[in-house]
Amino acid sequence: MDHVKLVNDPIDIAHIHQLLADEGCGASSVFVGTTRDNFQGKKVLSLAYEAYDSMALKEMNKICSDLRSKWLDLKHIVIYHRLGTVPVCQASVVIAASSPHRSEALESVSFAIDQLKTRVPIWKKEIYEGDNDSEWKENKESIRPKKSKSGFNYAACPCKVEESHDVPRTLVQIRVNDAELAKRLECFVNRKRDEINSQNVIDFKSSFVSSDKDLSDSCARTQSTIIKQEQSNCHLKVRRVNNRCGPQQMEMRPNYELELNKLMGSRDGQTDPTKEMRKSLPNSRLQAIESYMGLTTDNEENIFSRIKRVENRLLQLESISPEYRHFTKREPSSMEAAPPKKIRKKSYSAQELSAFIQKVKDGSEFS
Amino acid sequence: MNADGPVVNVHVLFFAKSRELANTPRSTVDVPTEITANELLDHLVSKFGLISIRDNLILAHNESYIDNLSDRILFKEGDELAVIPPLSGG
Repeated sequence: MDHVKLVNDPIDIAHIHQLLADEGCGASSVFVGTTRDNFQGKKVLSLAYEAYDSMALKEMNKICSDLRSKWLDLKHIVIYHRLGTVPVCQASVVIAASSPHRSEALESVSFAIDQLKTRVPIWKKEIYEGDNDSEWKENKESIRPKKSKSGFNYAACPCKVEESHDVPRTLVQIRVNDAELAKRLECFVNRKRDEINSQNVIDFKSSFVSSDKDLSDSCARTQSTIIKQEQSNCHLKVRRVNNRCGPQQMEMRPNYELELNKLMGSRDGQTDPTKEMRKSLPNSRLQAIESYMGLTTDNEENIFSRIKRVENRLLQLESISPEYRHFTKREPSSMEAAPPKKIRKKSYSAQELSAFIQKVKDGSEFS
Repeated sequence: MNADGPVVNVHVLFFAKSRELANTPRSTVDVPTEITANELLDHLVSKFGLISIRDNLILAHNESYIDNLSDRILFKEGDELAVIPPLSGG
């Protein structure tokens, strides 16, 4: 049984023993905390205890149930705490437990007094000899405020900004309390994290987003390819990832300059075609591809970024329906397909593709 | 503490050092129905003159400790708050 009490009179230890008595118990352990008569050389006359009664009882009962869940064999538990003025050398707290064997009783009592000092809302004030000298004590085990995520005390920071002066333009002055400031900083950090995350999503998923964003500086681009298992209807399980565009794949990338020069029939880039020609010829070809793929571009734009956009578009289409690559690949596969080649291979428009997917879904065989 | 949203009246209990500083064992205070523990503590500290022990205070809401000062607390009319300085039972 649990006996939990806050008392105003001296605690009778004999009574505690009675509460503990049980025929099946070979051990009872009693801890008695008594008040000392000195503190740092000062003579203590008496101690005054006060409690947040209702919560203290609640916490003491909680300790009892903690004990019972840790030491299953405990029979009786007693937690008595004295309140009000307690003369020195008297018991202020008694914790006791009985159990069939000694270890449970001894261990549980030791655990309980630590818990009591940590979390039961009771306070003592030592009253010393002399005029009105007294002090609220603090248990070193006491529960204490956790430093919030940013435990920094901004208000305590010395910041010399003279009130009358204008704040320099490069600085922003924020006058709020610490909690607000901490909240704002947290929001800022969270927003930055979100930005990075969304950028990562773009980088890793190949862009579905606006073709007007220049993503040429993104470093991670993966291209996932599905390899269907036999009999599988699954559409999405990625079995292989081709990382084609990342920096680690640089060497495997088509050499655009070389390819272009090849197309132009000039390997060194110095001969025949004028600059205009060099620009307009691939332009017209690219334009055709772009319009086919539903991209709008400005002719003045850098040719590489346009090619990149075409690639992105391809990636997007592939990601919408990764399977189509296998069906459209009629020639022996080659990893190093140059972009124009790739584009030639692509012989389905988006509509055709979706129609095709629908067909597959409807169960009609494709061969 | 700005009273933008709805406000409720709650009991506040003071103990030990905080009771002496606040000069009363109990009071009532209007608080928003939702507030972070930190803001609430700041408000109580300034209202009841507890600056000197602010960093050591912990709050209990309806007899349960608010473990983390960044927690948001939801209040109902008549809830009980306790301002709890470091414990010294035992």
